[in-house]
Amino acid sequence: MSGIGVSGAAREPSPHDVPAPLVTLGSRADTPSPAVDDRLSRATALLRQHTDAGWKAIEDNVVARALTMFRPSAPVRGRHDIGDFFLAADVIVSRLRRRIDQVPAAAAQKIACTTGDRDELNLVTIQLIAAYGAPLLDVAGHVHAAAMDVLDDLLGALAPAADKVRTHVHIGDVSNDPLIIA
Amino acid sequence: MSSARTPVAEETTPGSKTSLVPDEVLARQAGLGDKEAFAHLARRHGPALYRYVLRLLSDPADAEDCVQEVMLAAWKGLPSFRNDSSIRTWLLVLGRNQAQKLSQRQRPPFPQSGSRPTLDFDAAVAQIRDLRADPERDTIEGGLQIALDAALLLLPERQRSVWILREVEDLSYAEIASVVGLTPTAVRGLLQRARTAIATSLQEWR
Repeated sequence: MSGIGVSGAAREPSPHDVPAPLVTLGSRADTPSPAVDDRLSRATALLRQHTDAGWKAIEDNVVARALTMFRPSAPVRGRHDIGDFFLAADVIVSRLRRRIDQVPAAAAQKIACTTGDRDELNLVTIQLIAAYGAPLLDVAGHVHAAAMDVLDDLLGALAPAADKVRTHVHIGDVSNDPLIIA
Repeated sequence: MSSARTPVAEETTPGSKTSLVPDEVLARQAGLGDKEAFAHLARRHGPALYRYVLRLLSDPADAEDCVQEVMLAAWKGLPSFRNDSSIRTWLLVLGRNQAQKLSQRQRPPFPQSGSRPTLDFDAAVAQIRDLRADPERDTIEGGLQIALDAALLLLPERQRSVWILREVEDLSYAEIASVVGLTPTAVRGLLQRARTAIATSLQEWR
């Protein structure tokens, strides 16, 4: 039987593993033969290693659709030279996340926008992860400034003034992992 | 401090920075609207999700629909994802729920528990051979995998799920329990019965 190097791919035994089962054939109780054990472990390893051709066929389509999906979210009113317009709050959150993740020693964990009368933005709450050891008040100040830049850019004249909008900066976690905080 | 990270699967572009980014970071970014991060999650966990739901539904078209629906639900649900489970486990939970919805529209639906599906071994093998008209799999290894798929088809859905999630996807008993909605103790019992039944079926294979 041709060999695919599968025997070494077996999972490490776990202390929670169930003991090897007894096989009952008709009225006869028996343990699986070594040949059956070998077949089962090879078949299992093949299944584990095998990425179905079906997934390969649909992968690009699934990912392409993922890139076009949107989430329903509240409208936020903005204003430019020729009048008012509306942005989905999800768009604002996405832009804020990108900008905040560029702030040294900070990454956005949660962002919430709250609108008031006439769908004007009146509250942004940003929850952060900060790098371990970073001066937190400085980080919060940089994030606040970055958030105001984004809001000015997106909402124009209706972007709330820095002293008008209550921007709560909450440090929800700290990390020293460079993959989490650039 | 966020220091512990979930294992990261190899992606299609090994060595790229994204291939090293932990699931929870991609989930956080996707939850905040980063579609590229979500696409990476989809590519990372899509194979396991498809492998699992295909063996619940036994139909590639249904499996594709199921994966698409799961990805849509995941995109919508990520902003409220609280890291109570791993992303992979969460996607498998969504996959099983969606597969059950799809199966309820079929005739006959797969049994909810206990009873065996209403098909015999020969029919299962014939169905799988039809699904896998792939010359590359017309080998001893391909035959062995077909035999395993046939053995899986003969199992009740919960046993099949438990066996796949443990032996193929390497989930813990607690993670499997959250996917199939049982206790870890019940999962152990189902796994033992599934192992016994599969070993019995494979005794017939040459």
